[in-house]
Amino acid sequence: MDTTVPQRFVVPIGPQHPALKEPGHFEFTVDGEQVTGASVRLGYAHRGIEKATEGRNWVQNLYLLERICGICSHVHATAYCLGVEKLAGVTAPPRAQAIRLLVAELERIHSHLLWLGVAAHEAGFDTLFMYSWRDRETVMDILEALTGNRVNYSANLLGGVKFDLTPELTDQIYAGLELLEERTHQYVDVVTSDATLLQRTRGVGVTTREQAEELGLVGPTARASGVERDIRAEAPYAAYSDFPVKVVTATAGDLEARFVVRLQELFEAYRLIRAVLEKLPPGDLQARMPRKIKPAETISRVEAPRGELFYFIKSNGTDQPERIKVRTPTLCNLASVCVLAIGSQLADVPMILAGVDPCFSCNDRMVTVYSGDTDHTQWTWKQLRQYGIDYYRR
Amino acid sequence: MKRHTLLQYAIRSLFRRTATQRYPAERTPTPERLRGTLHWNPDGCTGCCLCSKECPANAIEIITIDKAAKQFVARYHADRCIYCGQCVINCRFGCLTMSSEEWENAALQKQAFTVYYGDVPNVERVLEGFVTQDSASNSPA
Repeated sequence: MDTTVPQRFVVPIGPQHPALKEPGHFEFTVDGEQVTGASVRLGYAHRGIEKATEGRNWVQNLYLLERICGICSHVHATAYCLGVEKLAGVTAPPRAQAIRLLVAELERIHSHLLWLGVAAHEAGFDTLFMYSWRDRETVMDILEALTGNRVNYSANLLGGVKFDLTPELTDQIYAGLELLEERTHQYVDVVTSDATLLQRTRGVGVTTREQAEELGLVGPTARASGVERDIRAEAPYAAYSDFPVKVVTATAGDLEARFVVRLQELFEAYRLIRAVLEKLPPGDLQARMPRKIKPAETISRVEAPRGELFYFIKSNGTDQPERIKVRTPTLCNLASVCVLAIGSQLADVPMILAGVDPCFSCNDRMVTVYSGDTDHTQWTWKQLRQYGIDYYRR
Repeated sequence: MKRHTLLQYAIRSLFRRTATQRYPAERTPTPERLRGTLHWNPDGCTGCCLCSKECPANAIEIITIDKAAKQFVARYHADRCIYCGQCVINCRFGCLTMSSEEWENAALQKQAFTVYYGDVPNVERVLEGFVTQDSASNSPA
């Protein structure tokens, strides 16, 4: 064996548990401990939800689309509701919009605390993981008391929301926020001062502002590189125009900055929730929605905890949609993993992956690229049958 | 949490109540809005089927016994139900409610998940097969 020729050594990671408990396959080419090439393969959790929406009515789809993601279910429902309301020419009442914002921000708190735990766990700091997940229970309890469920809250309705606030709930939210705020100060202290954690985060996976722009990053991942990109501020939806958001950014672009940006966003979420509770507009919870929607198409964008969530909705005059296309923030951010991994140590790869807060299962959707006449992606029954016969004749 | 803060916190935690719960020996009361098993009250039902038409999981069937006399039986599939509560919102006559108490719904037999609601003679007629699936006003797709 010729040892003078450098050999290409590929480390496959996944599809089982590539850092997170979700399926995705990564291949890293390594030279010693250094990563020299990276590729990603997705699609292990494809569920065919977009196609399934075409056979259900507008109301049924609300609950189907809410189940795209278990963590950020409410933003999916909100994006869909806002889109369908736009198509139908209905505006949800101001109180409903404010409650949508409230639930969305509570969900952001739970998502960011969950991520903090997962990222700390990837770094081997399980103490932080357990503390942050224990504190996350506070916000989960608030969500359960407000909507009746810990996940898939089903707070949205087409044209409004289901649940109103009561004085007891308001008190519970205030008390919970107070506890969480105190705890978040401690977390900021940990992630910026703990020497062991800083070795895993400071200067690791640095994304420059130019790279972030070029790769089209979204959400906290982009904001940690100094890109002020937040749909809540750029194109306010629901009640965000009445309760403006201060966009939190950092300039370092490394993993530490992502920790700090997400934790600072928690303070922003606490502030927003308090503002909503103080100035909750009075009025109805739901506007009347038509069962059928005239043919039209629209887009709807909202800021999920992970970044921009995009919906394309097309109606055809019936009570069912013609086409719904979803793009989740993970798809935009995953490309950065392949770029950032090159040149870094193999041991840092799980942290770099966890740093974008990926959610593979919400991400997996099929895209068909039509390339002129020679379309090999769709076969007729006859072609498929012939292929089967030819295959076994050999 | 610098090292000494973390240590302080760890020592304080020793004297705190545990964060986990000894379920089922210890139970916290469920929130009032918790969405558990669905209940259907035949009084007031007009058979409009708005509950079953918009159910995302086809979990409710309203079986018509006598349309003129407003006699209906509801067949509820607890195993299909996703507990979204859309049917409760849709019902204008307040016939549907979700229990916040009944949420431990595990069973060893699948039959336990098909629940019939309605007046006893009507339910018996459905169970005995006098009212077939074909005459049900809304059969699942």
